[in-house]
Amino acid sequence: MKLTGFFKSWEFMLAMVLVIELVVLGLINPAFLNIENLLFSTSDFVHVIIAAVGLTLVIMTGGIDISGVSIMGLASIVLGLMFVAGMPIGFAVIAALAVGSGAGAFNGTVIAKTDINPLVVTLAMLFLYSGIATGLPTLLDMLGFKAYGAGGFEAYQYEGIGGLPKSFTWIGAGGIGWVPMPLIITVLIAVVASYLMTRTRFGRFLKLIGVSDQVARFTGVPVQRTLITVYALNGFAAAVAGLVLTAYFTSARSDLGAEALLNIITAVVLGGSSIYGGQGSVLGTFLAGLVLGFLRQGLLALGITSDVVPVIVGLLLIGSVALKIGMGVLHTKRANRAAYETERMAVAQNGG
Amino acid sequence: MMRILKSREFLVLVLLVVMILSVATVNKAVLYPITLINILNSSLFLMLLAIGQMFVVLTRGIDVSVGATAGLSAVIFGFALNAGLPLPLAMLAALVTGLLGGMVNGLGVAFVGIPPIIMTLGTLGAYRGLMRVLTGGSWIESIPQNIKSFAVTRYLSVPLMVWTMVAVVIVVALLLWKLKPARYFYAVGDNYDGAYLLGINVKMTRFWAFSLAGAFAGAAAVVFVGQIGFVPMQTGNGQELKAIAAVVLGGVSLMGGTGSIWSAVIGALFLTAVDSMMIFLKVPGSWNNAVAGFVLLAVVVFDFLIRRTVRNRRLAARAAEMRRSELDHDGAGAPALVQTPEATS
Repeated sequence: MKLTGFFKSWEFMLAMVLVIELVVLGLINPAFLNIENLLFSTSDFVHVIIAAVGLTLVIMTGGIDISGVSIMGLASIVLGLMFVAGMPIGFAVIAALAVGSGAGAFNGTVIAKTDINPLVVTLAMLFLYSGIATGLPTLLDMLGFKAYGAGGFEAYQYEGIGGLPKSFTWIGAGGIGWVPMPLIITVLIAVVASYLMTRTRFGRFLKLIGVSDQVARFTGVPVQRTLITVYALNGFAAAVAGLVLTAYFTSARSDLGAEALLNIITAVVLGGSSIYGGQGSVLGTFLAGLVLGFLRQGLLALGITSDVVPVIVGLLLIGSVALKIGMGVLHTKRANRAAYETERMAVAQNGG
Repeated sequence: MMRILKSREFLVLVLLVVMILSVATVNKAVLYPITLINILNSSLFLMLLAIGQMFVVLTRGIDVSVGATAGLSAVIFGFALNAGLPLPLAMLAALVTGLLGGMVNGLGVAFVGIPPIIMTLGTLGAYRGLMRVLTGGSWIESIPQNIKSFAVTRYLSVPLMVWTMVAVVIVVALLLWKLKPARYFYAVGDNYDGAYLLGINVKMTRFWAFSLAGAFAGAAAVVFVGQIGFVPMQTGNGQELKAIAAVVLGGVSLMGGTGSIWSAVIGALFLTAVDSMMIFLKVPGSWNNAVAGFVLLAVVVFDFLIRRTVRNRRLAARAAEMRRSELDHDGAGAPALVQTPEATS
């Protein structure tokens, strides 16, 4: 990309917004600009970015997956139950990630093999996975497994599963130097996803499917395989987000992340992805996630109640899309104008 | 007649009856009239949301803000009652709140051109936040209890609200059937550009679809507050997804243009009945969502399989016909009139 092109890009605008936001919040409250605080406060919201990065790949194909928020809870409760059952924590993590990827792959299989709208499929999966996540503990009770507590496994549904080992909660609370682990994981996932999207055939396939899945199929793109893979990747990202959140809260719960849907989709759309597919960038999503997250932190630090935050996030979502539409209209008008002028000059020259 | 039997609404209705009957083999109490009436009564809230949602989905949109709109209307309803407004005026206030909420969505989608899911997701956050800001996050509890009188009044042991709902459904069904502008919803959803070329005001049609969804959400709020007698913060939380699930289950296509009010009614009944059946089967309530999700998935996949079979059969019939006519011409020594795709390309 040429340098001037970069300065005009949506990502650059987002980076500018992020800098301005931090400066403004820092001017109002200097304590906000403490680097260590700033870095560690990301742990509150990076799960949104992780899930949003996965969703960016899906939205690139013109699909959508709203079941990610349920997969977060499902992965969390699977990890917790595995741990309670006495499995080593490493094995529990792998199982939770596998369940998440499997759930995503199942979404992808149904979407790829049928012509049912992805929104409908993942809406059903949203209910299905969150139902399984809340139901699993009671299922274990009914099957006759014994839990340590008096309330049986059902109690875990309300209390969450605590007592997770240090080696696991380190993922949520630990860090390397000044950089907290959740942020490191997020950056890792974003870098891998960005590489997949811009440097591999798979990434080009995603874009091609997003532009037109018919054309993609006739061009020889393995549409079904690509779709199943991308939804599986999204499930994996959601599971990672769920585990990071579990480690951060030091408690495995089935309803973790259920509130995050608005923020996740806002991050993707604010990041420059088109909901119709074919357009979007992981870097944009990452930056938009940071903008949103710090905005929330800053507002809370300024003493604004958390009730106002969703109002602002919602308006930001609508406003950013409206802005893009407005810019598009202006651009078209300008292009039409220029075409008209050149045409008129050509006619004038020929006539003269 | 055959058309009704073949419709998706009928399929789900049959499923509903089969489900209730099969649960009845385990627990007879399901078939007591009072149980069935209670299921009807508790489905009213979701049904109203679903009917509103239906208008939007018919025009190929989606509205994920109806739950939040209902919550906001409920808060306004509560405030109005606490301010001493008479019940009818308070109801009107709730309806108008819903209508305005829907109009905002309609403006953004129809006139600005924001994709429906983005617009309504944004207002979902905005309305829900607004609801908490207005109430300061606490429940509205000290509502004059006379509003419950509306909910507990029964004629022929069926609640007044259910009768009202029946009337509303019949009126809306008649209007959708007989009123010309009502058909615009179908036309716009089926083929936006075609509807535009026919001279239909497509933007206005989409605008009113969202506005109606908001108004129905306001009505749902009145029902909800009337039934429980206070306004909890969770009013309508997550119900927008249930409402979408209900209309899709009942056969309204998200691609627009197909479906009827019966889809919304039967879909909402089914999802509510599933919850009740779980109780009769003594399954823990935590499984409700899993069953609802599974049913929705099973129905849409089954529907896809039927459609594919029908399409394949039709294609096979046409191919056979083409082959036959080709053979006929070959037999007569004339050149084949039906060209195969390979020949043309």
